[in-house]
Amino acid sequence: MLRSCLIYSMFTYIVRRLIQGIVVLLAVSFICFIVFRSAGDPAVSMAGQYATFQDIEEVRKVFGLDKPYYIQYIRFIANALQGNFGLSFVNRVPALPLILERLPATVELATCAIFISVVFGVGLGVLVSLKPYLVRNRLIMAGSLFNISMPTFLTGILLIMVFAVYLKILPPFGRGETVTIGFWRTGFLTWSGIKHLILPAFTLGMYQLAVLLRLTRAGMREVLTEEYIKTAWAKGLPPRKVIFKHALRNVLIPVVTMTGLQFGELIAFSFVTELIFQWPGAGNLLLTSIFEQDQPVIVTYVMLAALVILTINIIVDILYAILNPKIRYE
Amino acid sequence: MKKLFFLLTIAFMVALLGLGGQAMAASSIVVAVDAPPRMMNPHGSDADSNLSVMANFFDGLMQRKGSDAIFAPALALRYEHPDLVTWKFFLRKGVKFHNGNPFTAADVKFSFERLSDPKVSEFINTGKIIASIDIIDDYTVVIKTKTPIPWFANNLHQVNIMDKESTESRSVGEVQQVPIGTGAYKFVEWIKGSYVKMEANEGYWEGAPPIKKVELKPIKEPSTRFAALVSGQVDLASGVPVELYEKVVKNPKLQVINRPARRSIFLALGSKPGSAWEDIRVRKAMYMAINEDEIIEKIMRGHAAPAAQIPDPPTIGYNASIKRLAYNPEEAKKLLKEAGYENGFDITLTGPNDRYVQDEKIAEAVVKYLAKVGINARLDVKPKAVFFPEVFEGKLEFYLIGWFDGTFDMGRTFFKLIHTRDKEKGFGSLNGANFTNPDIDTLLEATASMVDQEKRKGVLQYINKLAMVGSIACIPLHYQQDIYAIQKDRGVKFQPRPDRWMVFKEISKK
Repeated sequence: MLRSCLIYSMFTYIVRRLIQGIVVLLAVSFICFIVFRSAGDPAVSMAGQYATFQDIEEVRKVFGLDKPYYIQYIRFIANALQGNFGLSFVNRVPALPLILERLPATVELATCAIFISVVFGVGLGVLVSLKPYLVRNRLIMAGSLFNISMPTFLTGILLIMVFAVYLKILPPFGRGETVTIGFWRTGFLTWSGIKHLILPAFTLGMYQLAVLLRLTRAGMREVLTEEYIKTAWAKGLPPRKVIFKHALRNVLIPVVTMTGLQFGELIAFSFVTELIFQWPGAGNLLLTSIFEQDQPVIVTYVMLAALVILTINIIVDILYAILNPKIRYE
Repeated sequence: MKKLFFLLTIAFMVALLGLGGQAMAASSIVVAVDAPPRMMNPHGSDADSNLSVMANFFDGLMQRKGSDAIFAPALALRYEHPDLVTWKFFLRKGVKFHNGNPFTAADVKFSFERLSDPKVSEFINTGKIIASIDIIDDYTVVIKTKTPIPWFANNLHQVNIMDKESTESRSVGEVQQVPIGTGAYKFVEWIKGSYVKMEANEGYWEGAPPIKKVELKPIKEPSTRFAALVSGQVDLASGVPVELYEKVVKNPKLQVINRPARRSIFLALGSKPGSAWEDIRVRKAMYMAINEDEIIEKIMRGHAAPAAQIPDPPTIGYNASIKRLAYNPEEAKKLLKEAGYENGFDITLTGPNDRYVQDEKIAEAVVKYLAKVGINARLDVKPKAVFFPEVFEGKLEFYLIGWFDGTFDMGRTFFKLIHTRDKEKGFGSLNGANFTNPDIDTLLEATASMVDQEKRKGVLQYINKLAMVGSIACIPLHYQQDIYAIQKDRGVKFQPRPDRWMVFKEISKK
């Protein structure tokens, strides 16, 4: 009875979240569309350097840019519903495939970064929380603070300078050799691909690593003083069980939330790292598109990013319930 | 447990060390450029970053060779210009496209007609000036323009010839991504944002190029481009950033190659009725108030040469007798007083912040120099994507812009930049501050129908002087400098081109 009730409330919750999601997507697309359309006239650059006024007018007509904004927007949404996000103004090919083609690189980079940040962040967090006053652990904490305050840009350039320019053990840029499996171009399967992945993945994951480390440590410190942990110790359970099964499990909820939210953000906002390492991902494409005012690509990208973040948020909410059944959906 | 992890990490690093260092075959080259190509459609972008790549896969009817940009035949053996609007081309025989199709007059007609389709071309302007294209036989084509276009042939190195059959039979999307041309290199692979790979066309009509494999890598971030050079990942790089110049020069493994760029940077100034700067004395005062030597030394770090006019020396219309007005703030103040603007006036200086070397910093400096003579200039810098449309709309007062003419002909440029704005005729579309001088307009229009090239050159030089000295249509600042770096020990022979194109058939390697 309680269980079916729970499933029902979860179902309505998910439906509500989905509707909210669609509204958010529409709002995002609208704002994006208006902002970038009023930022400048793409027809001027599309007509070429030597275009006359008439040439520009013709370009405007061919690409439907002569119509009022609201008609352009309605047209865009109508096409988007059919999966057609328009032609890139710069490359003159459909915007969605252009982004999707770049997505594997970004997803692989973000996955690696999140993997690094969870393994090192949670691992070090637990380590530090057990003996917080050791000099080594204090250094780790200080280091994490340093990491949080350091801009990604600087982290990336420093890593390149140390590992690529001075030590010469890792390549400074690019993705190395890749293997294509179906539509997915992966760098995981070649040595060169993995070597090229290390520096950017650390750069991208560094901030997250520090955040997770501090989060885990704070949670562990709190939980370790609880009565039930003392009982567990008193029962003579092995430290592994006390720490990982009893203590860490209760700390993981905020950690999972954080990781989930950050994964979406890593994918959507990896462009700084991608720029520094000339990583051929979607973020890099976004930057180029912004510089060249390739509005269809920008809008499509932002909508895609919003979609990813929304989806991950919903998944995280559901994971919550699995980790802690006491959580209810109102 | 922990120790094991550290040991593993160390073992991993050592393994990587062993794998470091790439073997480089003698006849291949890896080149880093600062801007990625946009597409593999030779007509789709008139940006030099794109034309540079296209020049390897395709040929035009004519070409520009080497570091002096010598105008030479390519797919056309020669041409005749019997009257003002007629151009007759005699085509090269026996040339084949990369897919094996023979090159004929039909491909020329097809390619030129394609120029005026806005969906696939940014050369609409070139396309629209053509009235008719007639195929006389397989190797003779006659192109007629609507009005006399003196620079028509000079522009033909930018108009690449495509294969009619494969361009029509393939989808638009594929044509955008896989080029089939007659050029010295065949397309191998393009991974967007990563690289473009090409291989030598052994059957090239000019002879097979010396370097057999080329990998072109765009690296947008300057410090990463620097790291790629220093770590030996690339043989040759363009766009060495001025901030890191000293470091590259000091590196014993690298050789730096400087070359004066064709592009000049200048401040466009109108003559809007009712404005303070309608008075030529005020324009002159503004010119004299700017310390260009200091801009070159402090902002450009020495990597620029002062300019007295818009065109560079090889351009038709360049006039060596034009000299810069010397920096003289006292004289500037005196001129302003004479003109009745002793207490200065307000003006807005607009400019891009992502287009030219140090563009924003130059604009900031100009504002400060003007303040010293009492002119209250407001700075308004913005991304180029927003800035250029404003120039086209012609609503600016005073702006920083750069220019060089791909045709090496000042006539075409002056119709854009200096001629009075005229929507009907399409003149003055980049005359964003509404400069006007009827004498210049009349003379410019007269050059269009001048057949005698020497006479035309003389008139263009005269117009140039009239614009720069006689009416101060703009304040020229400097010519930029292109900076390249190559790995010393890899035997790369490279001479930069004036247009910054990377034409690999002109590069060799031991």
